[in-house]
Amino acid sequence: MNESQLILTIFAAIGLGTPLIFATVGEIITERAGILNLGVQGMMLVGAVAGFWATFKTGSLTLGVVVAVIAGAALSVIHAYASITLRVSQIVSGLALTLFGTGLASFLGRAGSEPLVGNPSRKVFEPLISGGIADWPLVGPLLLGHDILVYLAWVVAAGASYYLFRTRMGLSLRAVGEDPASAESAGVNVAWVRYAHVMAGGALAGLGGAYFSLALVPTWQDDPIGAAGWIAIALVILASWRPGRAVFAAYLFGAAERVQFTLQTIGEPWSNIPSTLLAMLPFLLAIIAMIVLTSGKRARFLGAPAALGIPYFREQR
Amino acid sequence: MTTRRFIVEPRGLASPQLTLLVPVASVIAALVVGGVFLLLTGENPLSVYAKMVDAAFGSSRGVSETLISATPLILTGVAAAVAFKMLVWNIGAEGQFLMGAVFAAGVAIWLGDGAPPAVALPIMIIAGGLGGAVWAAGSAIPRVYMGTNEIITTLMLNFIALNFMNYLIFGSGSPWRDPAVSTFPQGRPVPEGARLPEFFNRLDIGIFVAIALAAVAWYLIGKTRWGFAVRIVGDSAETAHYSGIGVNQKILSVFLLSGAFAGFAGGLFVSGPVGALDPRSLDLGLGFTGIIVAALARLNPLAVIPVAVLMGALNNAGPSLQSIGVPTATVTMLQGAILIFAVAGEFFIGNRLRRPDRASSPVPEGAEAA
Repeated sequence: MNESQLILTIFAAIGLGTPLIFATVGEIITERAGILNLGVQGMMLVGAVAGFWATFKTGSLTLGVVVAVIAGAALSVIHAYASITLRVSQIVSGLALTLFGTGLASFLGRAGSEPLVGNPSRKVFEPLISGGIADWPLVGPLLLGHDILVYLAWVVAAGASYYLFRTRMGLSLRAVGEDPASAESAGVNVAWVRYAHVMAGGALAGLGGAYFSLALVPTWQDDPIGAAGWIAIALVILASWRPGRAVFAAYLFGAAERVQFTLQTIGEPWSNIPSTLLAMLPFLLAIIAMIVLTSGKRARFLGAPAALGIPYFREQR
Repeated sequence: MTTRRFIVEPRGLASPQLTLLVPVASVIAALVVGGVFLLLTGENPLSVYAKMVDAAFGSSRGVSETLISATPLILTGVAAAVAFKMLVWNIGAEGQFLMGAVFAAGVAIWLGDGAPPAVALPIMIIAGGLGGAVWAAGSAIPRVYMGTNEIITTLMLNFIALNFMNYLIFGSGSPWRDPAVSTFPQGRPVPEGARLPEFFNRLDIGIFVAIALAAVAWYLIGKTRWGFAVRIVGDSAETAHYSGIGVNQKILSVFLLSGAFAGFAGGLFVSGPVGALDPRSLDLGLGFTGIIVAALARLNPLAVIPVAVLMGALNNAGPSLQSIGVPTATVTMLQGAILIFAVAGEFFIGNRLRRPDRASSPVPEGAEAA
């Protein structure tokens, strides 16, 4: 592998990691409130189709992103209602959201007299800076010359980190995820906090989905996001529920996804490795990291919210 | 909280009528939601649904294809039901199903043309179950011995299994690949002796095997000492531990059993309608649909059977919608909506709502408004 291929790989890994940052930070916020949402894949897909549709109809990328965010948040309300108000199984409810979202996205992309499927996006996110300083060696391709959402992902991760650990609201949020009964007696409205942060997670998942349909693969197809939503759920654990670490975990997985293309281009003997085997890489990585990080005593230092996945009954205070 | 309209109370045991009503209402509610989306995209929901009923049940061929689609769903439904009943979150039926198919096809091809059906078929189905159990072990062992969350590992193993199957057919010259086809790689057909006999159009006897296996699961969970211990672990691992039940060993056995059922489905699908390790015919999301089946059947292995027929009917009806310009994905959307309503319906099975009764006892402290 020569230097330019390495730089190309890193550049691509940052692009592939960007939707993972949005979705992972979103799921971190949700899980910090004590709600596990396995619907990330579904919310991302619905965000992807909604964002694509809005940009397709209006020609505005901004509107596409806004609609994707609203769509992801709207879908997440279903999970919030089921898990917070009805207090049914969060695992099954989240899976339901993914299955429904997957079907809905595919349906919306193919329905109607002029279906979206097969159409290229009318507008695509372009690099913010091109030429000039973006051509500087190393710094140019690594830090400059990305589209605006790559930088927005950094802002979102930094903002979420600040919010979680440096603000009163963030403190309340973490209290709700650790010990809802105590939070409630300290005057925090547990249900409200949980609803708000499930929706925030949905909004970010929707945004992550739109990054696929408006930047990475800007032609509508049934399943533009691969397994990104599922990977994001694993990344939450690998990032130990910290938004800052999610950035690095996401880029690592972006690189793992990119490796198969890179190896194809650098020639023998690497190009002989079948792509079907290389495609397993991110998933193998996730399993190994899961086992290493969460086994035995190490799990306690990982920082999972103590009330994660447990329904909260006020009467059991 | 003075404006409370309803009081929510936990219900002891729900009546049989209610446990039947909730799944039925879930399906109807999902049809209404689907109808709204169909209306929004300019379709007439009633004619779409009529078309689906006709495709699934309107002809003898439709009925047989519906039952063909239902056969693997019975088993992936049981796989999810036995695991979820015990709070073992095996979301990996998809991968276990595929590995069952890989094992079953591999054994059939290895046995070759010489083996009589009476030998080849049982071996193939057992190999399928073994494949599923082996794949489940990849998540079960870390869960039991290292405390690794099985949700993530089972999910990730789905994608690894899918890529492994693709590798066997598209990425290598493996024995699973048909050497006669060179342009677009396909699975090598299993020998005639490894195909389940058909008795009603294309419907083969695999459906009886699936029903029998579901009955076995029902018996194991509901009627044996082992099943009793398993149900105690599902209700409370702590209680089980203090009553001397080996919790880890129960979790491991249920996990492997769940994987085996998904694997049986893969084995039956290969020896039945597909007849080869064919990625395009196997990558249908049957493992995930099994979760919907299990939830709608309220985790009862016998109730899984009729629910699987309903989901099989939906799957079978999907492609027919294309002829009237409606996306096949209508079916996926409806199935997802059914699961949403089925899981929400658990609230009404577990709780009862009543009007506040001002005359008698005071409102229980902290009761939730709904």
